[in-house]
Amino acid sequence: MTLLTVRDLGVRFGGLQALRGVDLAVQEGEIFGLLGPNGAGKTTLFNVISGLTPANTGSVHWQERAIAGLSSHRIARLGIARTFQNLRLFHSLSCLENVLVGMHQHARQPPLAALLQRPSFQRREDQLQQQALELLALFGLEAAAQQRAASLSYGDRRRLEMARALASQPQLLLLDEPAAGMNPAEKEELRALIKRLTQQFQLTVLIIEHHVPLMLGLCDRLAVLNFGQRIALGTPEQVRRDPAVIEAYLGGNP
Amino acid sequence: MEAGLLVQMLLGALLGLSVYLPLRCGQLSLATPGFFAIGGTVAALLSTRVPALAGSGSTYPIASVLLEMVLAALLTGVLALVLGRMVLRLRGIYLAIATIALVEILRVVTLNLEFTGGAVGIFGIPQPFQSAEGYGAFTLVLLALVCWMCDRLEKTRPGRAMAAIRDDELAAASQGINTADTKLLAFVLSALVAGITGVVAAHFLNSWNAKLGNFDASITTLAFVVLGGSRTWLGPVFGGLLLTALPELLRPVGDLRLIVFGAVILVGPLIFPQGLITLERLQALWRRRPPWLALPSNRGRR
Repeated sequence: MTLLTVRDLGVRFGGLQALRGVDLAVQEGEIFGLLGPNGAGKTTLFNVISGLTPANTGSVHWQERAIAGLSSHRIARLGIARTFQNLRLFHSLSCLENVLVGMHQHARQPPLAALLQRPSFQRREDQLQQQALELLALFGLEAAAQQRAASLSYGDRRRLEMARALASQPQLLLLDEPAAGMNPAEKEELRALIKRLTQQFQLTVLIIEHHVPLMLGLCDRLAVLNFGQRIALGTPEQVRRDPAVIEAYLGGNP
Repeated sequence: MEAGLLVQMLLGALLGLSVYLPLRCGQLSLATPGFFAIGGTVAALLSTRVPALAGSGSTYPIASVLLEMVLAALLTGVLALVLGRMVLRLRGIYLAIATIALVEILRVVTLNLEFTGGAVGIFGIPQPFQSAEGYGAFTLVLLALVCWMCDRLEKTRPGRAMAAIRDDELAAASQGINTADTKLLAFVLSALVAGITGVVAAHFLNSWNAKLGNFDASITTLAFVVLGGSRTWLGPVFGGLLLTALPELLRPVGDLRLIVFGAVILVGPLIFPQGLITLERLQALWRRRPPWLALPSNRGRR
């Protein structure tokens, strides 16, 4: 089944055409990669899908429903979660609280029960906290649960952001350069983790990453953007041999 | 310390909480004195113009005060709902300026309307309590209730959402948080607290005029939170109590007191940029508590 369909998408920032006529269809359960040089429009595409940037032309459909123009909290509630290239954690909150905020849409409780601290409220709150701790444990962050997000190391912040995104129980996870700033061993660990997560949570993943070997080994399909246009689409094998990709991204002959 | 000053300190703490609520959401709103003035005007008008509220006894019935509080809350709540929708689109200093404008508009309107008494104001507001002690007890209960509400808010879902918006609004929206509604909730709660406080203040002060909700009041109430801290509700309560008491306690120093008061407001944030009361400082205090303060062990966190 097609989860996400992007048709003829165009975004213009003043004189800059950031995206031009981009078509994509992400199938349920696949890991779909977005490659492209800096400034190719990858993050802009993420921002349009998650409702942060309005599109000038074209459409975005989530399972048959047009979502372009919806506010970002509505899109998040449909089951599309994301991480950010330049890390946007809630710095003054603890790791646990960051994940609890991620659970926002599932954490609704009757206001009166919350105000009066009824046992039913406390039970549910304990349950949510338990779930948040389990998520943190999945990313090896359980020991840091009470630490402020600002005090974490860079790699741990990236992991916390993924944990927070997963907390909303999304169907589609958008990962914007999750391996940025990681060493080769960490990158390999991350690859295995993303594979494991997609199976465990029946996730579909749309991922931006510059590290080509990681992407070739991880993704089921890849799209390559250059100057706002999609120049290739296919399996890692097909994309690697595509002459347009070699010219634009990999450079020279392989 | 005389009871009258204590009442003023408690009212200051309530106003501090009113400024604190939007600030916890990252919204610098200076509208508190405006809503405070509306609450006071509602109480002054109702208690002096509506004979049915006066009752038959020698003192003004407390039930009437409670009714005034409900009406003031309704009025300020609805007004905050409508205004908040418009002004909360502004960010940072622009929101502050818009809310200052709101306070000024309200002040000028009150000053020029016939039925609010113009520049003279409204006098002879009836007293529900014979003594300042009565006011003290009543205000203390009110403060305790508002503190309790803030405490529950901080520990539950909407409170977490507010803290998330303060840290990063865009990321908060990406977690499915309706940021516009959450900010509006904080703004309306702030208006309710200020309005209700105005009702108590009007009776306590015995008279009410437009000067009570002016720009100076905006800055003073903001100073409560800046000095006390905006991370937990204890901060504005402490700041409100301290900064209301300080000018009175400094009275023996004569005219110097205004300089000392100004110095405290200036130096406080320089030494304690996060405010006097922060969660870290509270936790450190709690760890170093004397043994006799040891409570029965907390239910273990699983």
